[in-house]
Amino acid sequence: MNNRGDKLISVYWFAILILVAGGIIAMVLIFYGAQYDVREIEGEIMNNKISDCISYKGLINENVFEKNYQDNLLKNCHVTFNVEESWTDIQYYFDVKIFGIENIDETVAEFSEGNKNLISSCEIANENYEKLAKCSNGKFYAIGEENKQYLIQILSIVRKSEKNVKQ
Amino acid sequence: MTPQVYPEKYFSKIFIKGNKRGEILIENIIFIILNLIFLTILVLFLLRQGEGAVALEESYAKEIALLIDSAQPIMTMQLDMKDAIEVAEKNGINKKDIININRNIVTVKLTKDSGYSYSFFNDIEVSVYPDATSNNLYVIKLNGYRNE
Repeated sequence: MNNRGDKLISVYWFAILILVAGGIIAMVLIFYGAQYDVREIEGEIMNNKISDCISYKGLINENVFEKNYQDNLLKNCHVTFNVEESWTDIQYYFDVKIFGIENIDETVAEFSEGNKNLISSCEIANENYEKLAKCSNGKFYAIGEENKQYLIQILSIVRKSEKNVKQ
Repeated sequence: MTPQVYPEKYFSKIFIKGNKRGEILIENIIFIILNLIFLTILVLFLLRQGEGAVALEESYAKEIALLIDSAQPIMTMQLDMKDAIEVAEKNGINKKDIININRNIVTVKLTKDSGYSYSFFNDIEVSVYPDATSNNLYVIKLNGYRNE
């Protein structure tokens, strides 16, 4: 009777071991299966890159007011939107709004590059929508000709969800 | 006096009773060995997951892409890739083939069957090679912007 009881305990023991091991394996797979989401950092770096292109050492680049410069912004700012072959759509977007300090309600210049469809992702910034694109905002002041002051707002968006969020 | 005849059932009980200590010992040893095997497999699984080539490939590809994104021309960076180099050497991948940059896409390859690619947006000419002065370092050299 006692021997039978021992065997019964060992069966339960293994059942508990299997349950614990299953739990540990599931947790490890979830932890290591998740991808590293670097889109927020990527967006911030893009923000800095565009900022350097618009203004340097606090002085605004006067070329940004020219249509020709704005049309070739990617080339002028040394940015490329080429991505891996797995995507056919553009995975980036950025826009720049320049305000004169004397009238903050109206933009002096406004231009953008990339996939405009990504803008809607910024309005639904929520933990439950991680597969949407990540947005990064930046704001700074710069001085132009004749000490004219400007407020510059930059919005950068990075999608690349398939490579940053578990599908 | 006639000798007492015991039934066969009684003998078997005595036999079992006499051997019980030995049986308990063997059962316990088997039980402990099975437990040890089970735990060893579990620990090996956890260790393998922690130093897995796939996770390393992804983390290094993204790290390098972000480094390049935030860099300026004529910069030279050194990246410690000790753990990745160890895994690659175990899997028969040549040290100089671990990182490959094709235009603006970084690919890190640590096994013959895998590889992870991630793109960077900085439109810059980059060259990567293992550091000749150290076994664990990789050099990332940014030459200049493409459209200049």
